[in-house]
Amino acid sequence: MKTLSEVFKKYEAVIGLEIHTELTSLDTKMFCSCKNSSTDPVNQNVCPVCLGMPGALPVPNKDAIKSIVLAGLATNCDIEKNSMFYRKNYFYPDMSKNYQITQGPVAFCMRGHLDLDVPTKAAQERVDIDKEEDGSYIAHIGITRIHMEEDAGKLNHIGGVDGRIAGADHSLIDYNRCGVPLIELVTEPDLRTPEEARLFMQKLREIFLTIKISDCSMEQGSMRCDGNVSLRKRGAKEFGVKTELKNMNSFKNLHDGLEYEIIRQANVLEEGGQVYQETRHWEPSNKRTVVMRTKETADDYRLFPDPDLAPYDLSDEFIDSVREFLPELPDQKRDRYIADYGLSKQDASELAGSLEQSSFFEEALGDKKEIAKSLANIILNNLAGYLNAEGLSISESKISAESISELAELLSSDEISSKQAKDVFAIMIEEDELPRVIVEERGMKQVSDKGAIVELVKEVIAKSPDQVQQYKDGNQKIIGYLVGQAMKASKGQGNPKLINQTLREELDKL
Amino acid sequence: MSFSLDSLSAVELSKLIKSGGVSAKEVTEQAYSLIESRDDKVQAFLELTEDLAFSAAQKIDEARAKGEELPALAGVPMAFKDNMNLIGTHTTCASKMLEGFESVYTATCVQNMLEAGGIPLGKLNLDEFAFGSSTETSYYQTTKNPHDLERVPGGSSGGSAASVAAGESLITLGSDTGGSIRQPAAFCGVVGLKPTYGTVSRYGVVAFASSLDQVGPFSKTVEDNAYALQALAKKDPRDVTSQNITADFISQLTGDIRGKKIGVVSSMIEAKGVSEETKRALRKAQEHLKDLGAELIEVELPHAESAMSAYYVIGPAEAFSNLSRFDAVRYGHQAKASNLGDQTSHSRYEGFGPEVRRRILLGSYILSSELYHEYYYPAQQVRTLITKDYTDAFEKCDVILMPCSPRTAFKFGEIDDPTEMYLSDMFTVSINIAGNGGISLPIGFGDESGLPIAAQLVCPAFKDADLLKVAHALEGCYPKVEVAKIMKAGE
Repeated sequence: MKTLSEVFKKYEAVIGLEIHTELTSLDTKMFCSCKNSSTDPVNQNVCPVCLGMPGALPVPNKDAIKSIVLAGLATNCDIEKNSMFYRKNYFYPDMSKNYQITQGPVAFCMRGHLDLDVPTKAAQERVDIDKEEDGSYIAHIGITRIHMEEDAGKLNHIGGVDGRIAGADHSLIDYNRCGVPLIELVTEPDLRTPEEARLFMQKLREIFLTIKISDCSMEQGSMRCDGNVSLRKRGAKEFGVKTELKNMNSFKNLHDGLEYEIIRQANVLEEGGQVYQETRHWEPSNKRTVVMRTKETADDYRLFPDPDLAPYDLSDEFIDSVREFLPELPDQKRDRYIADYGLSKQDASELAGSLEQSSFFEEALGDKKEIAKSLANIILNNLAGYLNAEGLSISESKISAESISELAELLSSDEISSKQAKDVFAIMIEEDELPRVIVEERGMKQVSDKGAIVELVKEVIAKSPDQVQQYKDGNQKIIGYLVGQAMKASKGQGNPKLINQTLREELDKL
Repeated sequence: MSFSLDSLSAVELSKLIKSGGVSAKEVTEQAYSLIESRDDKVQAFLELTEDLAFSAAQKIDEARAKGEELPALAGVPMAFKDNMNLIGTHTTCASKMLEGFESVYTATCVQNMLEAGGIPLGKLNLDEFAFGSSTETSYYQTTKNPHDLERVPGGSSGGSAASVAAGESLITLGSDTGGSIRQPAAFCGVVGLKPTYGTVSRYGVVAFASSLDQVGPFSKTVEDNAYALQALAKKDPRDVTSQNITADFISQLTGDIRGKKIGVVSSMIEAKGVSEETKRALRKAQEHLKDLGAELIEVELPHAESAMSAYYVIGPAEAFSNLSRFDAVRYGHQAKASNLGDQTSHSRYEGFGPEVRRRILLGSYILSSELYHEYYYPAQQVRTLITKDYTDAFEKCDVILMPCSPRTAFKFGEIDDPTEMYLSDMFTVSINIAGNGGISLPIGFGDESGLPIAAQLVCPAFKDADLLKVAHALEGCYPKVEVAKIMKAGE
């Protein structure tokens, strides 16, 4: 089996994600007052507490508790009023106390969910679900819990290749990250395709950016994702044996790593083999997963309640006060875009799903509701296409909200066609000019003058006797060719709607 | 110098200093000369900190010269168990693991004592990482009982108790996880208080079992102890288990305990393992309390006998985790090794003594996931039952009287079976398990052994002022606690 579609005819993939997010927005670490910045010069942000000096004690960062409650509220979780910190005991030199403070069976946030709008293209991988007419569907993904913990430091391996431990002759430890506040979200095994996993991760990232708890940089590692995946035959109830995937540090790697692993497991099963419960490492450069460790060597973390930290009681007042900080979330924004601006569901969902795009959209829109559709179109097609190709974010590009707004006005008032809008956009990028200036300097205005169009149409009819005859014989489709000819003759500036309408009028006169 | 530290309490000394009768410098000089003549025999000190002491003394003398108001315990020679961090000292926990380790910050409890005017003489010996009841497991030296140099001072705060009994320090701090203040206080014939859990900050005290550890003072008098507790009992933002304490421990020391209800646990006092002279001394103490106008009420603590079992689950479990940080990476004894795994295990094997290794292994075993529900969880249930026993008992009485140690100080090497050693704490651990306050009060010398005997008084949580009040009144029924006689011999 070589493709997901082959695999999915016979097997169902069961995927769960574990997502770690550093609360980079906080000023101080989780249990001490050190600066919360893991990128400063090494071992600069350290103190007796995060260095695990003898006798030092942890004191929880109240703002971190606010952040996790906010994260829980934004992902439809129940907020547990009584939860506790636990110690997870294991020896590793980047963990100064040799135990990590985390949470036990009851986390601050439990039993949440996110609904994913899986758009048409991404929906193709899923074969077992009822879809909308356009091929899209909604996937309901359960969230088991979100718990609070502290991050470990970083090991810098010296003397090996690419900073890897293999071949290194010694390692240095940077404790700046040790004690950085971290939340871990665990999903239910509700995801069925790599696309769903990617969309979940994207949506979660957008939510966390919206509530401003983290910079959510997958590259920098402030948002990290592990995946659990297993296969079972379609219709089977029992879960198959799962593997855990690590090193999926981008949306693409998350998708590709899962895709590879699903196909790998399918082939193992097809050949009558057995999938082993193990942790595997995704190697993007080799496009494969390799075994990191097997279940036999799994650790016993000896979890027990941390006696240095009293059980945490959250009051209703506290939870309500956090709820007041909850901004408009992507789903609410999507619904507003549909209701207020008449955007299509797909456009609204796509725009609202990106904080950067939606913020830019709203800035460019201002109070000009009437340009909303054109604006959405330009942002989602022209701008997004350009940014993707260049690998830029909106803020990194030189495109301003004012200029995009102006372009949308030209388009929505029919002063230019969408074809022209595309050209104007390209020139805006090239020459850093405002759209109106470009349109005027180049005489690119759409020709909507009835008299001029009639002249143009008559000329085309005269030059195309064969096609005119076909039209008269009942071939309605040929009108497209004639419109094309007229557009060409107008050097692309004719109003296509008007040309179409005029052509029919003139042809019917014949 | 016309004054003698041997004959003064801390409160009396501080008054003398404040009145100009003696300078803090003179006090410090005399303290060190006493240490010089006595500590060869007692070996309570692991480190002397003359620089810190004389600089503190100088500050006090200067402040007095300027007419500034001096703190409550200004100029009192103090010393600290060597599991408490103090900048400018080494903090070894009497372990090879921390040989030469320099404190990078000062524990809150130590800081509070220094702010109360204490002169820091040095750091005191203990059982390695406070695991023990005799101070014999110290990696560095064997502290002797000042009343009989052939006998142990008790433990784990053996150095803290012996130093006061020898007249080297007037107030010392110890830590008590299962009896480590009260039992050595009993063996050395001084007052030792384990305050209610949460009264004193644990920040900077190297943790043994975080849910049981509590810091408290040793002194010759209950009044000194109350002054020390007044300085120690403060909410510390660095320890979330520390509580805001508003009690006045000193004004309660009136000697009047008429109408106070004293619970007596006869089943403990008359228990099989308790020596006859201890029983007799405790019966006598009951008579004194009655004479003082207190009402004696029989109470029971049905689950207290399970405290030892719960303690040897919870204690090692927490200790296992607390001692994980000693991995030879950032500090501590580092064995030569060619890889990380060996470095960790060899360093820990070499750096920790047998008793420490025993408790770490025990804790690691107890917490393993398949056994968690067989040991750790039931131990916590027992803890709840014991706490409820005390709550029920304190509905009938204000303070409970019970033995502190089943017997007087034993000889070095006399107990070599660890489990028998653990029984030294049979009457003290349940108080740590429940979190109440407990005090060890000298009630004379054994009529057979000639060694100090103590009563233990226990109070409900955060009623430590009541505890001190009753202890103070009972103290008045006995001759003043004197520095151990052998210490003065030959000086």
